[in-house]
Amino acid sequence: MADDIPKHALERLEGLRREGHPDGIFTSDFSVNEFLLVRKAGFEPIGLCVGSCIYHLGFQFAGWGSNVELEQLSLAMYEARALAMERMKLEAAQMGADGIVGVRLTVKRLEWDRKVLEFVAIGTSIVHASGHTGFKGKDGQPFTSALTGQDFWTLLQAGYRPLEMVMGSCVYHVARRGPLATLGSVGQNVELTNFSLALYEAREIAMERMQLEATKAGAEGVVGADLHEGSHNWATHVIEFFAVGTAVLPIEGHEQDDIPDPKLVLSVNV
Amino acid sequence: MTSAEQEARHAAWEVALEQDRLPPFVEQRLRDAGAGRTPWVATMTPAELLLAKTHGVRPIATVSGTCWYSFGWSWTEGHAEGWHRALRRIGEEAFAAGANAVVDVKMRTIKHGFGSGMDFTLIGTAVKVDGLKPSPDPIIATVPALEFVRLLEMGITPVGMAVGAAYDWLGNVGGFGQGYGSNWGSSSWQIQSEIQPWSSNPVYTLTDFWERIRREAHAELRRNASAQGNGVLAHTHFGQLLRRERDKQPPAYLGRHIVIGTVIDTPRNAPVPHGIEIVLDMADRTPLVSGSVSRNDVYGGEIGEGEGPI
Repeated sequence: MADDIPKHALERLEGLRREGHPDGIFTSDFSVNEFLLVRKAGFEPIGLCVGSCIYHLGFQFAGWGSNVELEQLSLAMYEARALAMERMKLEAAQMGADGIVGVRLTVKRLEWDRKVLEFVAIGTSIVHASGHTGFKGKDGQPFTSALTGQDFWTLLQAGYRPLEMVMGSCVYHVARRGPLATLGSVGQNVELTNFSLALYEAREIAMERMQLEATKAGAEGVVGADLHEGSHNWATHVIEFFAVGTAVLPIEGHEQDDIPDPKLVLSVNV
Repeated sequence: MTSAEQEARHAAWEVALEQDRLPPFVEQRLRDAGAGRTPWVATMTPAELLLAKTHGVRPIATVSGTCWYSFGWSWTEGHAEGWHRALRRIGEEAFAAGANAVVDVKMRTIKHGFGSGMDFTLIGTAVKVDGLKPSPDPIIATVPALEFVRLLEMGITPVGMAVGAAYDWLGNVGGFGQGYGSNWGSSSWQIQSEIQPWSSNPVYTLTDFWERIRREAHAELRRNASAQGNGVLAHTHFGQLLRRERDKQPPAYLGRHIVIGTVIDTPRNAPVPHGIEIVLDMADRTPLVSGSVSRNDVYGGEIGEGEGPI
């Protein structure tokens, strides 16, 4: 019934009230569900925060037949993202945020120069509704997390809080196979070990770097870890492996028994 | 319809668009729907209709606002103006229908190959709430009816739509329709020095320029929304950084950014009364994750070929 709708909302619907709030407006890219769940978790959004970095990627030589990390490119890809994240975090700190949720990290090649990439970090900064300061990240800075509003609520229910987004990058040159090796495997089912080795190693390096960041942040673990591969229009044998996740810490006093058993349901309208 | 009738309708449209009001036949149709003399028309699904009904929210008519807008000296500001005109027009239709709100408002545009500019269209369902008088200024909610009712219950009123748009040139290019950069004239030389073929490094001048445009668009969004409510759920972001080559000079850069969102009005720290239960769906494919296509995807997002997350 209309009785379920609060008076505040009914007044707006009847056109009886139309005041704006020039001093206290928040912006966010939350969906309705995310907004409600962040509120349910006891937080309020305060503003969209964005950081970007336009980065020129130079050239690094790698031998035709060598499996090798292109360290300058790895560093560049990491630095560009870190700069974008840092700027986003600075904006959140200026707003007085406790943290940023729903961070999306994108990379886009600019059409007019294939060596110029645009890195963007965008998320919604939030504050605890009751002023609880225990959710801040490392050194009292806003925490960062790639978690959606839904994931954020669920993580808190699980007894953890986000600390910071951690990442690791590795740009790797995968060696080409020599003509003799290629001829030798014609018609055979055989593992191409130099390719396996290269992909394995590159992923491992990216994961190690991400894990090291989490250790330095003092985290207990990393949730939502994901590993992406991208070539960013480089030569065919150059691939970037990028690991990213949200480092988390346990919430003090939260017990395992506090977590309700999930209910099992079966949707029949799939 | 005879050709004379067609001509009369076209003439009525022309007068209406010029005078910022509705043609008499549209107004009559909406009044009839509002008074219950004709069947209601809704974009709602049956599930949305069900939930809306339980909260006394009843559909009246499908209403729309359309504006075909041609861009002169500013593409960016043309987009902002186009959407604002469409908003005013959908509001006029909702008022004629005696509505309290328009829900499920979707942004539409036709991908076409004719004429300059583009069309800016908003379509939604005008609704009234049992027991309330018609609003002189119906709210325009860019959320589906299902979410509209849920938000109202939780003390959050989706009240309208806000647009923030900003653009600037880096390096003056001059001439009609080209625009002038503000205080960035010498910076294009600086960019040349920052882009060296062999080195990997941030292009700080361009980054700062581009960030300023985004921030201005966000500030404009806040300003635009502050007359309506106290929060914006921004669902559409579109940005482009373009380069224009110049004779015997370093290139000039054009940055433009548009952000559009649903404006809400809510008391600070309003409680969320419903409990949330954790469920695990045993179905292999779940409808909870399907249908994730954006409702207002008129710009096609910022992600294109050769681009992606991370």
